[in-house]
Amino acid sequence: MVGELSKPHLSGPHLNEPRSGRPILRVLGVKKAFGAAQALRGADLEVLPGEIHALVGENGAGKSTLMAILGGNLRPDSGDIAFRGEDWTPAGPAEARNRGVSLVHQELALVPHLNVESNVTLGNEKARFGFARSQADRVRAALEELGYADLDPGARVGSLGMAERQIVEIARALFHDAKLILMDEPTSSLPARDVERLFAALGRLKARGIAIVYISHFLDEVARVADRISVLRDGATVAAGLPADTPTPDILQAMVGRPVAEIFPPRQGNLGGTVLEARGWVSRPGAAPADLSLRKGQILGLAGLVGSGRSALLRSLYGLRRPVAGSLAIGGEAELARGWTLERARASGIGFLSEDRKDEGLALGLSIRANSTLGELRRFANAAGLLRLDAEAAAVETMRTDLAMRSQGIEQPVGELSGGNQQKVALGRLLLGDATVWLLDEPTRGVDVGAKAEIYRLIAAEAAQGKAVIWAGSYLPELFGICDSLAVLHRGKLSPIRPISAWSEATVMAWAAQGVHA
Amino acid sequence: MLMTKALTKAVAATILFLGAAGAAVAGEAVAPGGTAAKTRPVVAVIPKGTTHEFWKTVHAGAMKAGSEEGADIIWQGPAKEDDRKGQIEVVQNFTSRGLDAIVLAPLDETALARPVEAAVKRGIPVVIIDSDLKSKAFSSFVATDNFAAGTLAAQHMAEALAAKGGPASGRAAEPVGNVLVMRYLEGSASNSNRENGFLEGLKKFAPKAVVVSSNQYAGVTAESALKTAQNLLNKYPDIAGIFTPNGPTAFGMLRALQIAGRSKQVKLIGFDATEPLLAAMKTGEVAGLVVQDPFRMGYLGVKTALAAKRGEKVEARLDTGARFIWAAEVDLPDVQALVHPDLKKWLGN
Amino acid sequence: MKPGLRTLAPYLGLAAAYLLFSLLAPAAFHGAYNLKTILTQSVIVGIGALGMTFVIISGGIDLSVGSLIACATVLLARALNLGHEPLPGWLPWAALAAATGCGAIGGVLNGFITARFRLAAFIVTLGTMQIYRGGAKWLAAEQTVTAPATWLNGLMEVDAGPRWLWIAPGVWLLLALTAAVAVVLRYTVFGRHVYALGSNEAAARLCGVPVALRRIQIYALGGAFAGIAGAMQFANLTLGDPTAAEGMELDIVAAVVIGGGSLRGGEGRAAGSLIGALLMAVLRNGCNMAGIPNYLQNIVVGAIIIGAVGLDRLGARGSRA
Repeated sequence: MVGELSKPHLSGPHLNEPRSGRPILRVLGVKKAFGAAQALRGADLEVLPGEIHALVGENGAGKSTLMAILGGNLRPDSGDIAFRGEDWTPAGPAEARNRGVSLVHQELALVPHLNVESNVTLGNEKARFGFARSQADRVRAALEELGYADLDPGARVGSLGMAERQIVEIARALFHDAKLILMDEPTSSLPARDVERLFAALGRLKARGIAIVYISHFLDEVARVADRISVLRDGATVAAGLPADTPTPDILQAMVGRPVAEIFPPRQGNLGGTVLEARGWVSRPGAAPADLSLRKGQILGLAGLVGSGRSALLRSLYGLRRPVAGSLAIGGEAELARGWTLERARASGIGFLSEDRKDEGLALGLSIRANSTLGELRRFANAAGLLRLDAEAAAVETMRTDLAMRSQGIEQPVGELSGGNQQKVALGRLLLGDATVWLLDEPTRGVDVGAKAEIYRLIAAEAAQGKAVIWAGSYLPELFGICDSLAVLHRGKLSPIRPISAWSEATVMAWAAQGVHA
Repeated sequence: MLMTKALTKAVAATILFLGAAGAAVAGEAVAPGGTAAKTRPVVAVIPKGTTHEFWKTVHAGAMKAGSEEGADIIWQGPAKEDDRKGQIEVVQNFTSRGLDAIVLAPLDETALARPVEAAVKRGIPVVIIDSDLKSKAFSSFVATDNFAAGTLAAQHMAEALAAKGGPASGRAAEPVGNVLVMRYLEGSASNSNRENGFLEGLKKFAPKAVVVSSNQYAGVTAESALKTAQNLLNKYPDIAGIFTPNGPTAFGMLRALQIAGRSKQVKLIGFDATEPLLAAMKTGEVAGLVVQDPFRMGYLGVKTALAAKRGEKVEARLDTGARFIWAAEVDLPDVQALVHPDLKKWLGN
Repeated sequence: MKPGLRTLAPYLGLAAAYLLFSLLAPAAFHGAYNLKTILTQSVIVGIGALGMTFVIISGGIDLSVGSLIACATVLLARALNLGHEPLPGWLPWAALAAATGCGAIGGVLNGFITARFRLAAFIVTLGTMQIYRGGAKWLAAEQTVTAPATWLNGLMEVDAGPRWLWIAPGVWLLLALTAAVAVVLRYTVFGRHVYALGSNEAAARLCGVPVALRRIQIYALGGAFAGIAGAMQFANLTLGDPTAAEGMELDIVAAVVIGGGSLRGGEGRAAGSLIGALLMAVLRNGCNMAGIPNYLQNIVVGAIIIGAVGLDRLGARGSRA
């Protein structure tokens, strides 16, 4: 459980400095319902000028709804909002922006086909005789202020990385002279190095007296960057303005509403025979040949920075991408990498969980039922090729109960579920299948704390019953908590597999960063 | 919740819209189906299309006959000009409605035969106008003799070619030169008859003329006719005379000639008196037109249909006649009366 | 969100239109004969829409069905002309099979190009629409093809041959096919794959669904249904017509969309598509009956299509909230 406390690769100066003065924003008892669902049932928030105020809570706690209200995208049903001392009900995104409130979206609201300057000035273009006038200087100044002087205002946004896109969004807020910037999960898709740069940029905004509301799942980040912390649970503020040094377990308890017991289940170490053995496996051009073996009952962690080739390795083992060279033995029979296909991988008992739930893992428009049995429909078909819907429903219903999935029955579209429950559907698909080797790519991404614990328990139980699991992830405490052995990738080069006890976070980081043992 | 509201709104909007649409036409169209229908006979007139001026003139003629006979006329064509299925459905729908008589200009000589037979079987007499139908069920065929009209065009084409190629003395010379026929549409009986009448007539009146192309179809719209005409003109740089079998094809060809700058060099003989063609006659870009009498066609069609309904004996074939007009004759009063019948009087706008 | 409402919408629309025309049009509108007429007139678009339902649920679109219908009418007429009087009894059946097969082959080509070269179905079928239209004209030697009279000509008679049939055989065929498509979509592995493909192709691939093969099969089915619709068109016209069904692909797409199909894929129902086709037939028939001029008919049909798609959007928004 210490896992939630720290992200070890983060270091550097603490930004936390208490501020004082009259609050720039005061939210009191804001309520908002969507149909029968009460998304906010009394949210309070008080933000001081020049303060970074973290807003935390489980998925569905109402954080994004509150942000959407402050950003002018939603109208509250009731409650009071005061901004810079005046009563205010945001009338729309433009009005909010003109007031000095800018929302940096979770899913970035940029136009990829236009360049940086056009994106920053979008909606605020200066024209002479109908021709847009260059404001490159002002845009460059905004970028410089954020520590991104090297970012070319003429670059096409579509060609930029995630971190730079985010900076473009923040630059847009600066450009519009924002007094309050709302940031929704700004680091969720950033590699560690870019997180550092982002924090540096936030420090500068703060120094200018700009207030920031910062939503994040990563409590270690919150502890570092925020001045104060407010916690939302079930649409209501349960803790307001906690100091930044509040112990993490206390924050977690406020978030989930109960004491956080053991997050990681105990592991028993009796492993069976080897089920998968890869020799000289090259998953993508330029990667070093990797040797990999996996035993029954084992949970093998796969660490590495973003882009190190974790996904490529798993995907090539599953046949989703054509491996370059090597051989693979599953259940004793050796196969050459050439000709390794998804059909053969599935026939050999390999199952796969995608890191990209939305675009690849699940069909969001379809029901829980259709999603969970999609890979195993033949099991539910009779000789005439007709589906036995009753048998299917019974199996899915059992799975739903086993996984404690929160949904309105099995016919509910998956897109309506929370991230954690969606992930349970994706895992349920593996459970309903007969794969014995599970390749899991970031299985807890975008899942809240409570559901994470359930997923850990589930995977541990499956391993105890003889499944072999490869768990690729970037969150080290999690890997240390759940895996019994670990290997690290550095630019496509795989370290030897070692028992988890033989690794420390420092040695993992050393290999991940340099590809050598520290 | 949201869905229910949205649904109710959408359904309500649809009903309102349809209601408005219905009300908009109630005055002219719904009334005949109402109480008045008990005493006044109702005749449906189904043209090939509703957008050409030719059919508007037919409509006017039908309205005149209707007012003389004390009958209500329903005017309803297929949504698209060459939509055989659409026209079949219109015939079926009127058969189903059970009115007194149908006057039909069939889009296809075969495809419309069965629906017409079904109507006759349900006791509705059908009069065919404009184009023939391969069936024996209908009461009468009221139309221009298209083959004769095509021959008429050929006769005058010969004169035009002779004048064009002849010496300055003015004495008619031998008609020579390349002649082009741009056909209308596959399966259109009236137009094929005109085209074939022209080709036969040309053999007789201008045996030395050469028909360079007579197998290209222009399609139904002036736009498709223009494209085909441009392609043909590009292929044959040396053309003395052109025949086109109806209004849209003639107009498409005229535009193609104008665009190519050849409208003054080629003798274009068209068919039907549409406004753009009449205007081009005045500038000499169209040499002459065969003019039918669509007003008479609509008029006689309705008259004959009502006579058949009353059980009177009707002629199996009525020719509504055709006349050739040279460009120079276009302003003569009797020509004007033919090409500009008083539509306003009958159609109201 | 209650899932039933979007499903119910086309039925309500149909009922509303029928009621409205009962008021506007003369009494003959709700006579049995006119009911039979409406049913008969919805057969061709209806059968085409059933095939299109597969395509649209799978996230694709097929603009070439109108041309395939024309191809089928011509091929059928040509096939009937192969026999000498008296025609052998199997010839109409063979001709019917040829028409269906011709559609299926066209569909296979659509699916193959779309799946193999990963091109947008809209573009591919926009191209094959022209190609098949040209093929139909070539097959027909650029004119309508007459054919000897067979029992095929009676398939679309409003007053069906034997009295006990009550409605045209084509209508019975449409109803049977609707039931068959509904069963395939709901109760077969193939049907489930169609929905999965349309909802998220990557997820389907991940689950081992043979994506390319399924696409080809889906377009082949769509084409085969167009072939059957072509046979009905032949029965309607009693001749092979290379210009038949021009623009009908849009009526067919409209029927599917009105019936609950989503052009984003993953949604659609056989019964809905049938209702969509019926709704359009009712509108045309009712407008004719009430003497509403063509321009108003066009406006009404257009408004209904936009209304249906708007409902689709509202539904999507409602489910997100």
